[in-house]
Amino acid sequence: MNALGGLLSTQLFWLAVTLTVFAGADALSLRSRRHPLCHPVLLATPALIVLIRLSGVTYATYSGATSVLGFLLGPAVVGLAVPIHARLGLIRRLALPLFLALLAGSLTAIVSAVGILWLFGGPPDLLATIAPRATTTPVAMELARQLGGRPSLAAALVLGAGVIGAMVATPLLNALGVRDMRARGFAVGVSAHGFGAARAFQVSETAGAFASLGMALNAVATALIILLFAVLA
Amino acid sequence: MVGAIAQLFVFLLAGEALHRLSGLPVPGAVIGMVLLVIWLASVRGDRARLESVSSWLTAHLSVMFVPAAVGIMEEGGVFARFGTALVVATTVSTLLTIVVTALVMRWALARFAPTEAAE
Repeated sequence: MNALGGLLSTQLFWLAVTLTVFAGADALSLRSRRHPLCHPVLLATPALIVLIRLSGVTYATYSGATSVLGFLLGPAVVGLAVPIHARLGLIRRLALPLFLALLAGSLTAIVSAVGILWLFGGPPDLLATIAPRATTTPVAMELARQLGGRPSLAAALVLGAGVIGAMVATPLLNALGVRDMRARGFAVGVSAHGFGAARAFQVSETAGAFASLGMALNAVATALIILLFAVLA
Repeated sequence: MVGAIAQLFVFLLAGEALHRLSGLPVPGAVIGMVLLVIWLASVRGDRARLESVSSWLTAHLSVMFVPAAVGIMEEGGVFARFGTALVVATTVSTLLTIVVTALVMRWALARFAPTEAAE
């Protein structure tokens, strides 16, 4: 057993465990027909936490061993340029409505999240963590880190926002009487990033396309708005 | 294929360099993404490989942030103290953002793009 004990702190061991657990979570998620509450990350995260606790290694060890996965987020975010470029014609035709809706939505997301947490007495590092909560997870983690917040907590809040948004969007937009699939999709993408886009694609192709556009554009808009606040402050 | 992967890394590197040179709190990856959009719009070329590499990466985003999500195991103290506040702020902000974005988009489409067919 001692001969194998050292394996518990290797990259190989934790990558094998993480990928296997995630593959299992993904299979369950598929079985649930991609219900937002059965998102593979939501299933895999608690399972991995239990395994890490049982193994006795620290989170720092686990995080170091699996850092190659997080490293891939960088090129993946750059790759979002491809779907944006594919929709440049659409962006040009609807430039003004998209710009106004994006600006309103992005500002609402930042100000309402930070404002409510501030009313509850949240300290500055938590306000910095929740500010980018509407962006896609890798961007939110990076923005939170740069603002002096907590990247892991930012990831958890973004996932929470995604689950809520994906579950409530359809009844909420029906109650509002918004029937235009472009407006519905875009709103869900701006507020609930990848979860919203995945849900929107289940409703209609148009809603899905506008949701992924909303997600990608809001990553840029949130970064720029936070930058503007930082310059003004 | 390697060329497309190299292209993503080069744009990420350029974004990271600009991020460091400017000191701006915009992630290098976001700057790299904007630079790549500009590049794709201004330089013609075959995009099939870049499309397949980037769509593979975006399709597997979820597994890439699992290690970060697991970091929540270190945040027990924050949840004990601010759990309710975090849940309320996230929930209200998510719903309010959907409502505001959808209503502004509907109004702006009717006002500025009435000739575009609604879908």
